[in-house]
Amino acid sequence: MGVLHKDQPKFDVASINGAAVGDSDPEVSESESESESEGEDAVKLAEPSKTAVYNRDGLADKLKDLSWPDNVEWIHKLSIDIHSEEAVDVNDDLTRELAFYTQALDGARQAFMKFQGMGLPFLRPSDYYAEMAKSDSHMEKVKGQLLAEKKRIEESEERRKARENKKIAKEVQAQKTKERAKQKKDDIESVKKWRKQRQQSGFAGGDSGADLNFDFDDGKGSERSNKKRQGVRPGDRSGGKARQFAGKGKTGSDKNKKGRDFKDSRFGFGGKKGMKKQNTSDTTNDFRDFHKGDSTNRKRKR
Amino acid sequence: MGGKKRKHSEAIKEAEEALLLKQKQETEAPERPPRTLLGWKKQPKTDSSPSTFSGFRNKEKVLVTCSRRISFRYRHLMLNVVSLLPHCKKDNKIESKESKGSTLNELVELKSCSSCLFFECRKGKDLYLWMAKCPSGPSVKFLVNAVHTMEELKLTGNHLKGSRPLLTFSSTFDKDPHWQLLKELIMQIFGTPKDHRKSKPYHDHVFSFTIADDHIWFRNYQISCPNSGAQKLDRGDLEKMTLIEVGPRFCLNPIKIFGGSFGGPTLYENPFYVSPNQIRALEKKKKSGKFAKKVKAKTRRKMHEEANPLEEDEFAGMWKE
Repeated sequence: MGVLHKDQPKFDVASINGAAVGDSDPEVSESESESESEGEDAVKLAEPSKTAVYNRDGLADKLKDLSWPDNVEWIHKLSIDIHSEEAVDVNDDLTRELAFYTQALDGARQAFMKFQGMGLPFLRPSDYYAEMAKSDSHMEKVKGQLLAEKKRIEESEERRKARENKKIAKEVQAQKTKERAKQKKDDIESVKKWRKQRQQSGFAGGDSGADLNFDFDDGKGSERSNKKRQGVRPGDRSGGKARQFAGKGKTGSDKNKKGRDFKDSRFGFGGKKGMKKQNTSDTTNDFRDFHKGDSTNRKRKR
Repeated sequence: MGGKKRKHSEAIKEAEEALLLKQKQETEAPERPPRTLLGWKKQPKTDSSPSTFSGFRNKEKVLVTCSRRISFRYRHLMLNVVSLLPHCKKDNKIESKESKGSTLNELVELKSCSSCLFFECRKGKDLYLWMAKCPSGPSVKFLVNAVHTMEELKLTGNHLKGSRPLLTFSSTFDKDPHWQLLKELIMQIFGTPKDHRKSKPYHDHVFSFTIADDHIWFRNYQISCPNSGAQKLDRGDLEKMTLIEVGPRFCLNPIKIFGGSFGGPTLYENPFYVSPNQIRALEKKKKSGKFAKKVKAKTRRKMHEEANPLEEDEFAGMWKE
């Protein structure tokens, strides 16, 4: 082989550098010798090595020997050249793959036009079944993987949503309470305004004004005023009137009612029993029989 | 150089043959001579459409082998390539020795192939691919990077086994003579011959060969149309045409182009090529200095401390009394 003799001096250089010592194949060691001087571990040399062979005439000759005759029809070759504008950045996976994809797609489209021009079939018809490059079991796996991927994405999406909702929920709750408070305040305000207007327009005082009291008017309604009255039990809805009228008796058409009234007048009815037994502020503040028993007495009892 | 002489005579012979063929075509094409050596099944068809007649017939046959001790990933890549090329013959592994060139040449002749793809694995991690046209050359040696096999699940496409692929080349292949040569070589080896007995009559996948960063990147896509079932596709379908990647993927870094098959004069040498051995050696060298550096730094520090002793601290004995 003439090549080896020609490249002998370079080979020596390689062995000096020591990188190619263990290699048995002369060709590899030759190629390694090109890259001696570089100290960096870049895959590509920064500058082309000067000793590299580039025999343009030889290449052209070989190409002429190799290539098919010019009049060979395209259908034999099926090759399409696609013009690409700019060099792609190899390290950017996405743009690189996109460049390959667009090249292939353009090629496929051009080929399709050519096939259509020649009236030849192009894609496989759907009822043409034959052995495929990948087996059915493999495609099953691919499908399963795709489905799993989809499911995984959906699940993660759901989780993300739930997390965000939780974050928002607190704010939403606060907003709601604020709104409610505001609503209440507005209502009260409007009622006050309405009352003021009424007073100004001449319906001042009067029983009718008192009748139109609203329950939500700051708790100043009937209940509070009831409590203020002396001698009335808290559950007494008659407001002490029952006791007031107890002696007088009441007119009633019903016989039962008459009897009740009679009994009431005789024994007295001052409201419901259960409410009578509850403590009021008067009874709780009554310490009259608190210190009756001595502490020593109690001890002895125990 | 006997080989060269032989080659020269062969070249002349070939040229004469080509000339004869051409003359034959020019003189006889209108007369439509009966074709005897072609497949008999195709005969009525060629008779009915005389315009498709040409004397050319692609009889490419590729021998695909690999070296011993190839790793499983690279072996799978080779098997993928075998499944993509219906016109190939797979053979047993070959010992990757210095004499492998002559062995391979013999083997190719024995199998009556016209070209060869040889996957050579070194050290269980570096894959080299030899592409050779066999009796007369040329041959190319590539370093193969970025290998993805068809088995990977993210490559979801599929296509007919043995359908003829469309070959797309980026225009950068026409720039330099060595790229032109590589293009011709790839086209002949990867293109399935028309009417090959194992090929299918449809075209549902496309190979893309692109030069980026002085490497040849290979991709294989399935062509899919929304209603590919219909035989007549129109322009609208053309717009909707999409590709799905089938695999495999690899990236070829040309190292050398030789004039003969597996040898001969070097026609081209990649000036930017650094072998993976070299890269690893450099990395190792970088790492290796670590301990020595540490020791050196320590001694230097000691020397420095001895040379410049600290001043006595005036408050040093303050709390001892």
